[in-house]
Amino acid sequence: MTLPIVPLQPIERGQLNVMRARGAGMALALILPACIAEFAIADRLPVHGAIAGLALLPGIWLAIVAPPRRWRHWSYAFTGTELHVAHGWWTRVHTIVPVVRVQHIDVAQGPLERSFGVARLVLHTAGSDNTIVTLPGVARATAEEIRDAIRARIGSAA
Amino acid sequence: MSDDALRRVHPGTIAIGMLKSAPSILFTLPALYAAGAKFGLVTSALLALAGFAVLALTTWLGWWFLTYRLTPDEFVIESGVLHRSRRSIPLERVQDVSIEQKPLARLFGLALVRIETGGGDKDEATLDSVTLGEAHRLRLALRRAPLAADAGAPVPEIAEDAGGLLFAMPLERVLLYGLFNFSLVWLAAIFATLQTLDGVIDFDWKELVGIAGREVRGHLTVMAGLTVLLLALALGVIAGVVRTVTKEYGFRLDEREGRFRRIRGLLTRSEVAIVKARVQLALVHRAPLSGRLGWQSLEFQTLGGSDDVSGRQEMAPFARDEEVARVIAAAGLPAFESDALTPVSRGHVLRVALRHGLPVLATFAVAGAFLPLLWIGIALVPVPVGFALLQRRHHRYGLCETSAQVTRGVLAQRDWIVPYHAIQTVSVRRTWLQRRLGLATVAIDTAGAKGWHRPDVADVAAPIAVELARDLMARG
Repeated sequence: MTLPIVPLQPIERGQLNVMRARGAGMALALILPACIAEFAIADRLPVHGAIAGLALLPGIWLAIVAPPRRWRHWSYAFTGTELHVAHGWWTRVHTIVPVVRVQHIDVAQGPLERSFGVARLVLHTAGSDNTIVTLPGVARATAEEIRDAIRARIGSAA
Repeated sequence: MSDDALRRVHPGTIAIGMLKSAPSILFTLPALYAAGAKFGLVTSALLALAGFAVLALTTWLGWWFLTYRLTPDEFVIESGVLHRSRRSIPLERVQDVSIEQKPLARLFGLALVRIETGGGDKDEATLDSVTLGEAHRLRLALRRAPLAADAGAPVPEIAEDAGGLLFAMPLERVLLYGLFNFSLVWLAAIFATLQTLDGVIDFDWKELVGIAGREVRGHLTVMAGLTVLLLALALGVIAGVVRTVTKEYGFRLDEREGRFRRIRGLLTRSEVAIVKARVQLALVHRAPLSGRLGWQSLEFQTLGGSDDVSGRQEMAPFARDEEVARVIAAAGLPAFESDALTPVSRGHVLRVALRHGLPVLATFAVAGAFLPLLWIGIALVPVPVGFALLQRRHHRYGLCETSAQVTRGVLAQRDWIVPYHAIQTVSVRRTWLQRRLGLATVAIDTAGAKGWHRPDVADVAAPIAVELARDLMARG
């Protein structure tokens, strides 16, 4: 149920793995301390696994359920004059950045993203709430292609 | 006189700096008192004198090491005794130069010069303080206007040559505005200050309250209660008037050479320049009460924001229709076309009703389960629902020739005029509930927005939102 502003294309599958890995990391950060707490005060708990079990539920959500959902809702389109970025599973947001409004532009790649072969395109505008519009999960070559196209446009406008 | 010369701010700044740190000296009085008891009067007097000397020396050093220089293409400020910092501002980057006179500075005939570079508050350079004449000279020079031939000529207090007077508030207007600025919050603030001062000044506050308490208990009648209430209300009105008069006294807005100049203030006199090219949007606000009587305020959102409370430049705080229209026209913005606007979707009513009615319903339903008396609260639900019914009539939008226009609000009403070229990004947002109702919100992002209130079009039918986003892009 996306809005037909422009036809959008999905982001790379590699980003799904990036999101899963990040989710797993967050889940671990939640579950490990819970397990430690569980062992530390095991005698005083009414039921075995009260703390760890409680931490497990959000952990499963973060690592297994949420990433594919969030990944599926990321999509983008570059029309030459605008960059469209849509995301969000609960609240869906479709942001349109006119190329002429871009102040500067970065292609970023963290270690996790590098190992899954994706890159992040970061657009900076003069706006207030959308100063930074990020498009994650595009192939490095695509990101650079878009960047160069936008740069050429900004250059010609200036 | 060469313009490259190294200059310092006015020596009077030292005196002002000393006077400003006087309150913190007050806090050392108890320590001095204790020292007096322990070491004897002479020793503690010497200690006090030494402390004063150190304070004077540091203030003087701070003054001596703060220098500025105006070269043909940049303005350089150097400061710091041990940790030196040098800041150079290329003249082409200077956007505005504003002049402000705080009460103490006015006594010395000094003014604070603020050089705005458009990078927001952090990047601003200030000179605290120089003589008024020097401030005007700097402003002229920094704006790269031909230098005033005689810098030594006497300069009248801020308001000089009347360029093109656009809007001014005579005292009666300011007083009337003050009446509407009735505020109990300020009263609370005054009492809070008294409370904190209580620790410093040895004032038997509790005893006074005790006397008052006995008096009140002695004459506890309905009349007494009403009197106290009326007194509080009267104080609230007075607090509002006093605050407004101090801030807005002598409000005057001039327009000349692509700039607005706003002067206002009773104790702190400030002069702010607003470059037209930096105006991003106009926001007209009608307050719940004064708005119904035809009074409105006009603010401009500018690149780099503003030091005003709202984060936007206050152009006309209390004005009539035609006055606001005149300022808007002077800025080169199109007029607000109230009649040309279309209301948002009917679903807006439903969504607002659900969003504001459901929490009330849920709160009292849950509370009622514990205390059945609270079931009565459910009778309040029609209030938010009633407001919801009015919301749609007051939330309208339109794409005019050169600007997007949005109006919103039932009690406090706001009109936005956003020129297409000021739109940075457009987002179409749909929450879970909006998707169920087939609605979408079109959010318009502009530069320099701060605080609350954005020109968003909430709850239009999804296909219309798509159309709207496309149109905004096509015109931008």
